[in-house]
Amino acid sequence: MIGFRYSAQRPPDPRRINDAVVQRFDHVYEVDPALMRDHVRQHDFPAWDTRRIVDSRWEHLAWMHDHWADSVISGEELMEDEPTGE
Amino acid sequence: MTSILVTDPVIDELVAICGPDNVFADKSSRVNRARVPAPFPVHRWAEHVPDVVVLPTSAEQVSEVVKLANRHRIPVVPRAGGTGLTDGAVPLRHGIVVDVKLMNKILEVDLDDRTVTVQPGINMLKLNEELRQYGVIYPDDPASYPCSLVGGRIGTSGWSLIGGRYGHTRDLVISFQIVLPTGELIWVGDGGGRKVRKSSTGYQLKQLFMGHQGTLGIVTEAVLELVPRPEAEFAAFFSYPDYETAWRSTGALAKSGLATLAGVVLFDEWKLDYLRRDDEAYIPQPDDVRCVVATAMYGTTDEVRPGAKRLLRIGKETGGAYLGDEISQGDWASRHDRYATPLHGRLRDGQVVPMSWHCEDASINWSKLPQVRREWHDIVARLGDRFRIFDDWGMFAYTNGAFKPWGDYLTEIDVGIWEQELDDAAWDAWVTAKRDIAAVAIAYGGSISACHGACREGEVDLVPEELGGAGTS
Ligand SMILES: Cc1cc2nc3c(=O)[nH]c(=O)nc-3n(C[C@H](O)[C@H](O)[C@H](O)COP(=O)(O)OP(=O)(O)OC[C@H]3O[C@@H](n4cnc5c(N)ncnc54)[C@H](O)[C@@H]3O)c2cc1C
Repeated sequence: MIGFRYSAQRPPDPRRINDAVVQRFDHVYEVDPALMRDHVRQHDFPAWDTRRIVDSRWEHLAWMHDHWADSVISGEELMEDEPTGE
Repeated sequence: MTSILVTDPVIDELVAICGPDNVFADKSSRVNRARVPAPFPVHRWAEHVPDVVVLPTSAEQVSEVVKLANRHRIPVVPRAGGTGLTDGAVPLRHGIVVDVKLMNKILEVDLDDRTVTVQPGINMLKLNEELRQYGVIYPDDPASYPCSLVGGRIGTSGWSLIGGRYGHTRDLVISFQIVLPTGELIWVGDGGGRKVRKSSTGYQLKQLFMGHQGTLGIVTEAVLELVPRPEAEFAAFFSYPDYETAWRSTGALAKSGLATLAGVVLFDEWKLDYLRRDDEAYIPQPDDVRCVVATAMYGTTDEVRPGAKRLLRIGKETGGAYLGDEISQGDWASRHDRYATPLHGRLRDGQVVPMSWHCEDASINWSKLPQVRREWHDIVARLGDRFRIFDDWGMFAYTNGAFKPWGDYLTEIDVGIWEQELDDAAWDAWVTAKRDIAAVAIAYGGSISACHGACREGEVDLVPEELGGAGTS
């Protein structure tokens, strides 16, 4: 067991994406905290918990694909096989 | 807090029918069955709390409960998953809620004649988990797939995301048993045979009991269609610089004639603005992505692969740009379960507020989509001008025909509502807006609802207008 790690708790500093959105982790966007001031407060989230939620979401989507069909066909691969007419 | 109708002796009788563990008169069991996710006047919650909740386990018990309610003149409302969006499961006049969730058994899987017989409290996701071992599925796939139940699907005559390929609830439910308001049990289907899909004998009663919202009886058993589990799934999302191009492309994709095509969805500019605000997949999209069209296919690999190539070609030739596998596959997988929709909205100054999602739906022909879209957004904009608690979350139009995905579209406008702030004035304005939205659908030759039903305050007033007008010039 590794135990408590400060880096696992503290999210990286946010980077601005546009006037309403900031980003701390790849593919994970957050509402600009300035817009969560009057009626809803932003929660403090440990970094590991954000990662857990994002991973669970991906797992859920993979589960859904598998639930509906044996395989998923990739559009990108199809377009490589046969250019759709440039 | 029971009404004068549901007296202690009535509760004793219900206990004698359903057993002591399946009758609930406590506050939380009743309060939790007062509403569904449709906008609800939360400031008037107490008006809709049932007096007692029963969870029967057999058709005979349901029949006895209905007979008892008849004797005592007590209103009865069936309730399945409680996800309906037209208040069908809301006990408007208190009384008895018959919750069918304990009637959730699979009674028979018939692989020869391709049917599965179930009780009405089973959920489609759970059913399909069981069916997987047999290589078949029951393809009724609403965006509430993990939580709506077969009884509610029949009660609403539901619409399925993949109905363009496999049909909607009315096409997939072959026959069912129903307890009439008198307590009698009958079977309805297409003709008399329980597993017969097509008959010309007598009147077709099945459709009468489809989408009756629990007003004509309580379904207690159903025979459902089985189809081969798909070998392959393909989803392609295309982006467009403007609505006009996206709308024309939607028409071309839907009319492609590709048999494995399960659905085509058009997201308008307001929907894109909303997604760009709060949806991970769309936030990074460049500004020239103004509209999106989503498509999905299911079937054998031998059919889906070539079909998918053709679909990509049509999307491109009609002005679309493929958005890539990550968004196409990820967003498509998330469509089966829209409870993941963000539960916050914005005030006009951009501040985040808690809002619940609501959608108004209608059936609209392809040729009328652009006009309806403009008028619906105007209605919601006027509502938002008066009350800050309403937020326009955009529109989508989704192919609506069974087995042939063209012609008319399930058309929805999504509206965020800050329910905790509702008061009588805001509620009345909302009901008026709903009526206006329904009136536009009728004016353009559509139908008030493609999947949710039309029995809430506001829209219900216009049902005679819609149906009375049928067949007149
Ligand atoms: C996130 C979300 C996404 C949705 N997406 C879709 C969608 O894609 N397609 C769609 O069609 N709908 C959709 N809906 C609406 C809803 O899920 C459907 O209307 C569904 O069919 C309702 O099923 P339920 O089991 O929750 O029924 P309930 O809400 O419990 O009941 C619905 C109606 O059926 C009646 N009823 C229930 N059980 C019985 C029975 N045994 N016999 C007779 N009548 C009965 C009830 O009285 C009520 O009038 C969505 C809802 C949500 C919240």
